[in-house]
Amino acid sequence: MTNSTRIRRLFETPILLVALMGLVALIAVFGDPTITRVTVQALIAVVFVAGLSLFSGNSGVMSFGHVGFMAIGAYTTAYLTIPVNLKSSMFSDLPESLGFLATIHAPFPIAVLVGGLAAAVLALVTAPIMARLGGLQAGIATLALLVIVFTVLNSWTDVTRGSSSMIGLPKSTTIWWAAGIAALVIVIAWAYKKSRSGLQLQASREDYLAATASGIAVGRHRVFAWVLSSIPVGFAGALYAGFFTTFNSQTFFLSLTFSFIVMIVLGGYLSLSGAVIGALGVSVLQEILRRFQDGAFTGGISLPAGIADLILAAVLLFVLVKAPLGLMGTRELRLFRKRSIGSAS
Amino acid sequence: MTTTTEVPQVETLQLVDGGMNFDGVQALEDVSISVKSGEVVGLIGPNGSGKTTTLNLVSGMLHPTTGRVMLGDKDLTRMSMRKRARIGIVRTFQSVRVFGRLTVAENIEVAALGCGMRRHEARELTEELLEELNLESVANTAAESSPAGLIRTIGIARALATRPKFLLLDEPAAGQNESEAVELIEAIRNISRRRACGVLLVEHDMSVVMSTCDRLHVLDSGRTVIAGLPQDIRHDPQVVEIYFGKRH
Repeated sequence: MTNSTRIRRLFETPILLVALMGLVALIAVFGDPTITRVTVQALIAVVFVAGLSLFSGNSGVMSFGHVGFMAIGAYTTAYLTIPVNLKSSMFSDLPESLGFLATIHAPFPIAVLVGGLAAAVLALVTAPIMARLGGLQAGIATLALLVIVFTVLNSWTDVTRGSSSMIGLPKSTTIWWAAGIAALVIVIAWAYKKSRSGLQLQASREDYLAATASGIAVGRHRVFAWVLSSIPVGFAGALYAGFFTTFNSQTFFLSLTFSFIVMIVLGGYLSLSGAVIGALGVSVLQEILRRFQDGAFTGGISLPAGIADLILAAVLLFVLVKAPLGLMGTRELRLFRKRSIGSAS
Repeated sequence: MTTTTEVPQVETLQLVDGGMNFDGVQALEDVSISVKSGEVVGLIGPNGSGKTTTLNLVSGMLHPTTGRVMLGDKDLTRMSMRKRARIGIVRTFQSVRVFGRLTVAENIEVAALGCGMRRHEARELTEELLEELNLESVANTAAESSPAGLIRTIGIARALATRPKFLLLDEPAAGQNESEAVELIEAIRNISRRRACGVLLVEHDMSVVMSTCDRLHVLDSGRTVIAGLPQDIRHDPQVVEIYFGKRH
């Protein structure tokens, strides 16, 4: 491979994906409020799924726990952006050690950043477990993490309000925030995939034993990717909080996890392009199914609740059988395709 | 062939009185084997004789129940396989275990990175190895979809990418006919000579090792039958019995 081909191959995919984010944002700018809402949601999904793909795509370990990181980002944003006078009435029973939560305040951009870092703290605490476990055990451990985060948020009502909603967040997430952070996360995820650590982690995904025999410190790379991937997912939580302005402990649990898993699996978890396309595609599909369920296409007769989720689950099953690696497999989005080399493989 | 600029010191990797017991089954007993830099040592014996177990002990995939693994006067017995790879003792697998969905070039580069090389160094070495082992045509193909005949070569290229001092090869020519096998092992031998690398070669085909190895070590039922020069071993009555004589 010549140097120029290598450079082209290195930048082609992220440029295309970032351009795609710009295009999606433009649709929202010229669309009606519903389209804008769907678009922002889709971009938040891109931020999440691209972040998840940074870990799962390279390590081959599917994480069901990343929604826990998202929750951390959302709650951090709530503490930092809800007006102080409202907070003092919402959190009258804060434990003394956490009293500062009632008085701190920060602008939204800082809240997003702190949300990402707070998620990374949780990732760092759980990292030793991820370094030691592989395959199915690791997947189940991530599910346990989700349950732990949910249980704490749901039960520690003095601090989190549990299943009562967080309210009064200013609406801060604009289409440009969502698109900009989506583009940033795409670039980070791509850079990691192409980095020396990323390549070594991919080798361990392909064959753990052979990776070890080649001197690769699998645990170390897995931990790095785990912590790095939690940051964008924390951003996604902050964007979510700043867009919907209200949420509770139930928001960040199984059904949201299922949505994101469908996105990454449909698109193809081994490919960043697949993750991004899956996030966009499934977001649109979910909106269409929701309307279908509400009777938009059946002459106003609404269908039984849950039909949208059932159809989505059926689509997931179909893809898992027909294309286990998703629509993109291991391919990435490219403009040019060289026939002589097996780029399609 | 030899470079005059660097004169690598001769080192010896050895298994001393190695024994391995799997839950009461003695797979290996008091086996001592050594490899010097630049030397190709063949480890042969019938199926189940303990060849792969020996290789596993030397590579660090298993730790012996008795005996030691030494590099010079350094004791490696408890050192992990990964750390051994990083100090230059690297193995291949009988089933190769390529990184299937990485490209052939990436398979090689990642092993160089795994052993701590810098990115550009790793890339240069990858280019060299692709050329040396005639893998250039498949460099950007996913390893799993490259021709079956090349898979074993990819495994060897990957091992060489770690700049090994000792290369431990588990039946590198399995599945190939005798002439292909001899050719492959000759290539390995040249490569290791050039790099002053010691090779421990597990092989079940007697005729293949006869022409390619400096020394041979014959195992049967987890014990050393005989060790020495190929020409001496060829006519050893015990070896003849194991290989050509009566079967139990």
